[in-house]
Amino acid sequence: MMEAQHDTGGNLNDFEQVLLPHLDAAYNLARWLLRNDQDAEDAVQEAYLRAYKSFSRFRGGDGKAWLMTILRNVCYTMIKKFRSHETQEPFDEEIHQAMSESEMQEMFRQKANAENLQQALEKLPDEFREMIVLHDLEGLAYKEISVVAGIPIGTVMSRLARARGRLKAEILAKKAKESSS
Amino acid sequence: MNHDEAEKLLGLYQDGELDMITCLELEKHLAECSSCQKKMAEENELVSFIQADAPRFKPSPFLRTRIQATLREEAGSSREVPWWQYFSPTWGYFSFAVVLMILLLSGFFWMPKTSELAQEAVANHVRSLQVSHLVDIASTDQHTVKPWFAGKLDYSPQVIDLAASGYPLIGGRLDVLNHRTVAAIVYQRHKHYINLFIWPSDGKSLPNGNLLNGYHVRGWAKAGLNYLAVSELGEKEFQEFIGMIQNQTIDSQQGP
Repeated sequence: MMEAQHDTGGNLNDFEQVLLPHLDAAYNLARWLLRNDQDAEDAVQEAYLRAYKSFSRFRGGDGKAWLMTILRNVCYTMIKKFRSHETQEPFDEEIHQAMSESEMQEMFRQKANAENLQQALEKLPDEFREMIVLHDLEGLAYKEISVVAGIPIGTVMSRLARARGRLKAEILAKKAKESSS
Repeated sequence: MNHDEAEKLLGLYQDGELDMITCLELEKHLAECSSCQKKMAEENELVSFIQADAPRFKPSPFLRTRIQATLREEAGSSREVPWWQYFSPTWGYFSFAVVLMILLLSGFFWMPKTSELAQEAVANHVRSLQVSHLVDIASTDQHTVKPWFAGKLDYSPQVIDLAASGYPLIGGRLDVLNHRTVAAIVYQRHKHYINLFIWPSDGKSLPNGNLLNGYHVRGWAKAGLNYLAVSELGEKEFQEFIGMIQNQTIDSQQGP
């Protein structure tokens, strides 16, 4: 107990040096998972507090992955609490079959599609969305993601691939809807 | 490396997750396979699209401040470790609880008594200043006041004259304090009065320098007698008066 007191009480500066640089990354993940500014801020604050309380158990190394692991748990607890009534929209994976490379390139290059991209990402199930946020936006390696999400590297790999596939399909479905209307 | 194997590894290749040997083998296949090239290009488009256009949400600048404040608070609350915790946590809490309980219980018994006494003394003092009941025997002569108490009390208070020091004796009176008749000796300092109550010690504690509604109350015991002084005098003069009384009262009780 004495050691724990010493570690948590005495090392606030160390803690801040190791973990505060990851504040933006943490907020980004929380915001993508919770889809709401206020909830994201609350989750990040809670995660920092929990991290600080258990800082004595942090054995050095990757502070970012460690913080993200705690934050992800906080977020999922909140999601369970808030969204138990929500259901995910059914998803049609077959919809994006016939689209040429040039069509796709053109679509991706249009600035207006950024909005579509965000909406499509938000439509993804949480466990797919977090793969894209962690990997493509926050630049975590598969190994780090496997620690954060508590899943084997092989699962990270397949889940990320599926997430990208569904995202692409989602964007294309949206595009198809727009051009038909 | 055949085509099927290579196709499965495209994602890993793109994400830089392949070891160098597999990476070289895949690149060899990729150079020859247009289908894999096309798939690779598509994936690249998507990922660079995500990286370029998906918003990376920024926290408000207040979040950092908020978090730091929370951490300071947390650090503060865990840093103020009470000394007993450094010995043994469990026994520390236990003995703390025991000590606290003893303090509370003992406080429960003597604290109200003490403040009750002080309040009663102040009330007596205030009453003595009203309606010309300051003294029963008005005299500046200690040799007049002291014999007056004889026969009225079962003990003999010592009456000291402090006129030479600027606290002239005004007289004496009988009063009721702490459920018994006590001697009240009255002194004056400029336009203020001091009531000095004297009665035999009963072992109970006395107010030790209370300030009640602007009146100083201080008690002490000496030679088997309790002394309780009450006055609206300033702190300094009040203490000076008490010091003189304490110095001049004798150490052993005299018979009546």
